[in-house]
Amino acid sequence: MKTKKDISESIRKVDSEEKISGRAPYTSDISVEGMLYAKTVRSPIARGVIKNVKLPDMPEGYYTVDASDIPSRNVVSMIYEDWPVFAEKEVNFIGEPIMLIVGPDKETVMNLADNVEIDYEEKNPVFDFSNSGVRLHFDKGDVVNAFERAAKTIEYEYETGYQEQAYIEPQGFVGYIEDGGYTLVGSIQCPYYVKNAVMDTMGEDEDKVRVIQAPVGGAFGGKEEFPSVTACQLAVALKKIQKPIKFIYEREEDMETTTKRHPSKTKMEAALDEHNNIIGMRSRIGLDGGAYIGLSGVVLSRGMLAVTNAYTIDNLDVHGDVFLTNTVPNGAFRGFGAPQMIFAIEMFIHHIAKDIGEDPYVFRKRHMVKQGDKTSTSGTFRDPIILDDMIQKAVEISNYHDKAKAYEDRDTYKGIGMSWFLHGCGFTGSGESDIIKANVKLRKDDEDNVHILVAAVDMGQGPKTTFRKLVADILDVPIEQVTFNYPDTRYVPDSGPTVASRTMMVVGGLLARAAKTLKEDWKEGEEQTVVKQYEQPDYVEWDQDTMRGDAYPAYSWGVNVVEVEVSKVTYEVTVTNAWSIYDLGKAIDERIVMGQADGGQAQGIAYGYLEVMNHENGKLKQKNMTDYIIPTSVDVPKMENHIMDNPYPLGPYGAKGVGELTLVGGAPAVALAIEQAIGRKVRKIPATPESIMELIDNG
Amino acid sequence: MKHVIPKTYKEALEHLSEGTYKVLAGGTDLMVKNRSWSETPARFKQDMLYIHNLDELRYVEDKGDHLAIGALTDYETLLRHEAVPKVLKDCLIEIAGPAIRKVGTLAGNIGNASPAADGVLLLYLLDAQLVIERKGARREALIDDVITGPGKTTLSNEEMIKEIRLPKSTFTKTQFLKVGGRKADAISKVAFAGAVRIEDGIVKDLRMAIGAVNVTVVRLREVEKLHTGETISAVQDSIVSIKNAYVPHIKPIDDQRSNRVYRKRVAFNMIEDFIMNMHIQD
Ligand SMILES: Cc1cc2nc3c(=O)[nH]c(=O)nc-3n(C[C@H](O)[C@H](O)[C@H](O)COP(=O)(O)OP(=O)(O)OC[C@H]3O[C@@H](n4cnc5c(N)ncnc54)[C@H](O)[C@@H]3O)c2cc1C
Repeated sequence: MKTKKDISESIRKVDSEEKISGRAPYTSDISVEGMLYAKTVRSPIARGVIKNVKLPDMPEGYYTVDASDIPSRNVVSMIYEDWPVFAEKEVNFIGEPIMLIVGPDKETVMNLADNVEIDYEEKNPVFDFSNSGVRLHFDKGDVVNAFERAAKTIEYEYETGYQEQAYIEPQGFVGYIEDGGYTLVGSIQCPYYVKNAVMDTMGEDEDKVRVIQAPVGGAFGGKEEFPSVTACQLAVALKKIQKPIKFIYEREEDMETTTKRHPSKTKMEAALDEHNNIIGMRSRIGLDGGAYIGLSGVVLSRGMLAVTNAYTIDNLDVHGDVFLTNTVPNGAFRGFGAPQMIFAIEMFIHHIAKDIGEDPYVFRKRHMVKQGDKTSTSGTFRDPIILDDMIQKAVEISNYHDKAKAYEDRDTYKGIGMSWFLHGCGFTGSGESDIIKANVKLRKDDEDNVHILVAAVDMGQGPKTTFRKLVADILDVPIEQVTFNYPDTRYVPDSGPTVASRTMMVVGGLLARAAKTLKEDWKEGEEQTVVKQYEQPDYVEWDQDTMRGDAYPAYSWGVNVVEVEVSKVTYEVTVTNAWSIYDLGKAIDERIVMGQADGGQAQGIAYGYLEVMNHENGKLKQKNMTDYIIPTSVDVPKMENHIMDNPYPLGPYGAKGVGELTLVGGAPAVALAIEQAIGRKVRKIPATPESIMELIDNG
Repeated sequence: MKHVIPKTYKEALEHLSEGTYKVLAGGTDLMVKNRSWSETPARFKQDMLYIHNLDELRYVEDKGDHLAIGALTDYETLLRHEAVPKVLKDCLIEIAGPAIRKVGTLAGNIGNASPAADGVLLLYLLDAQLVIERKGARREALIDDVITGPGKTTLSNEEMIKEIRLPKSTFTKTQFLKVGGRKADAISKVAFAGAVRIEDGIVKDLRMAIGAVNVTVVRLREVEKLHTGETISAVQDSIVSIKNAYVPHIKPIDDQRSNRVYRKRVAFNMIEDFIMNMHIQD
């Protein structure tokens, strides 16, 4: 008898061939008969009032589309509704869209767009952290008392910069009119976010808006809320012009005007008792939201929840603000607020230990969370935590202790850093049950082929493979008998957005339940449909107003170790090695998880030392792939990554979240390694050669 | 606007004598500078002369006392050619990535005249002579005398570079140090090339070129000459005065890639590092 294979055993990714061969039809490959092209006219100033618009002579067949053409509301419906579809009276950042020029010949469209003359009354832009748009707060225990009885307090401030998603293909849609409704095919993460936003802007019913995912070559959060903006603009243009339109950003346009990771400033203050234990912590985090809030409040919230990372601190007071500035709006990016916070807290814990003269490793271990401890929001870590074993393994394979000791000799200019961290899986708090209410569907046709109907998007991270593998495995049928096409809102129910590391744990979990039901009820040669809806685990209790309770149903865990060498001559950092260990419950496909581990670390480590983006008076200085530096294969070190199983009872085969976890610990690990190599405290990332030189000079 | 593709080098020179053309070799600078919306033509601002198919300008020849490099020879070919000096190869392998190196040329690197150009830095180090021609005339000039500032050269509209000549020289140690934003495919924030020939403890030939710290590459032949003929330790003992000699010339800028303080510091670090280690063989 053949024994069943372990689900983690890798299979070939089902879409590798179409992607490697170039056959996969990305949005820019799509061509529709009679298609026009759209180009955006943008604000060249950071803040002002539009006084007058003078159009060039418009040849026949060329159109302008602006706020006056919007049938319903001039707002892009997302979590917070302040982002206009087109700027109408005011402009609030350089690059803000004012109108589209649409027509058949690209050169003509481009020249017309270049010749729209707009007069502005300029206003003083705001770039500092002064204008709070969202303010959140939570506490735990009695922080006032903790600070009153403290033997010592220690305070530091941390800063992080922008990060650009740098996905392979820029933002884009092709749209056309179909049965009097609007069909949009695009490079997106969240088909239903796009659909709902378009319905809202157009004042249309559900059956008039159809959204289809084209193959996506990477998104990293950048295609979470932003595509709703361009989709609404395109739908307005479609209504006015009634012809198919292609609307794709250029790389530079994309980098200058779409959402990025929020720059942040975090202040942390710890109260220590006479045994040098942290008894309380106050923390204040500020995110640069850019010109509109959009998703920033939710990003802030996830950041704040990670304030104590994998440490237990009994008394907490946590404040957060999203500050509005006249810069490009920031938004979703793999990690969603957590990378900023985990950088801050990992550095802070080390800096406390160094200041009190204790070995940081010992100090951190003493404060590490254990099963049963209270979370930062007074919820409970219910499930087994295997972080101790993971750290043990990481220490062994990296030879951490010996190296950490050897590199205390400053002349080596070498360093090793270790971060450990958690990441909450799925939406925060009761988001899944109150807002998302995910639905999945399995349909079996009369030839017993099973079709997966969900809105989850494969953007390279693998669900096209893993969902089919999962369902086939449960049904005990060959994977070829299960299909999963690119989601099309005409056919798939709203299983929620492809975000928050929820795809396998939540959507996959529902699919697994649906597959079990179908299997139990399997009727050969008959059409059958199974629908499942999300139900919150009954132990999860969350109060959104006080931010108290179980912020997440489950947590994934990780350990990153990074080794560096710093040049004495040029202060450049060479990342020589990286090791990592992850507890993501159970891998549904090991190779796919390893792909996430490689890519997540490359992106996370680079966030800590390599990727530089900043603005001057609201204008981004690094706006193309020449100036915005992401790592090449020469920059990425040799990596050794491992998974340790720790199945989560409610995940499919025990799976938890993967995608974001692999990024969030990279920056502190590399920053700690640099810190050791130069013998100076790193409080700001990216730790560039320029800033390393300054640190060496000034401490 | 005219787009001309000459069939022969002679024909190219004739076109240049009759109109005002921009010469396009590999196009790796020009296509990027004149980029336009995808699927639309590049936004060139003047008539274009595409010389990419003039195979007669693709050669590397050992002429005994010098190496002659045809203007259209791409970086990849140079990297594979055995007669190309090691220090030039050390530089070329750090220019762009494989695709760009397959079409990019040294002549284009000169024509573009960026202060951060890596190839140009090595041409300064190696005393490159350029063979420049126009219809019916030829001149030869040292690289230093051709590049005058960012994007500026002494080439007239009628002229083009035909050949690059590298005089033969022997070194006991060479160094190319490029500081880019990352380890590959990056534009230099600051770069250094050094070469030295030491015989019996005496410095016979000393050269240093520094890129991206001024409007053109900095190479101070007077300073190099001053220390030629000295013992290693005499040169190394003079490190402070050597560095001082460079002070008026190291005047970098702040930009999106780095800042002046860093560029300046690293430039001096690299000078010192080279001088202090010039006797240590790789
Ligand atoms: C991704 C990328 C990475 C890059 N990385 C680097 C790098 O690391 N280091 C670096 O130095 N450069 C780099 N470059 C710039 C570029 O590749 C080099 O400058 C290259 O040498 C240009 O050669 P080309 O033949 O493509 O020049 P072209 O673009 O064809 O021409 C450049 C200029 O030279 C002139 N010209 C060309 N041939 C002649 C001739 N025979 N006579 C007279 N004038 C001539 C042209 O008129 C034009 O003004 C990079 C470019 C890209 C796109």
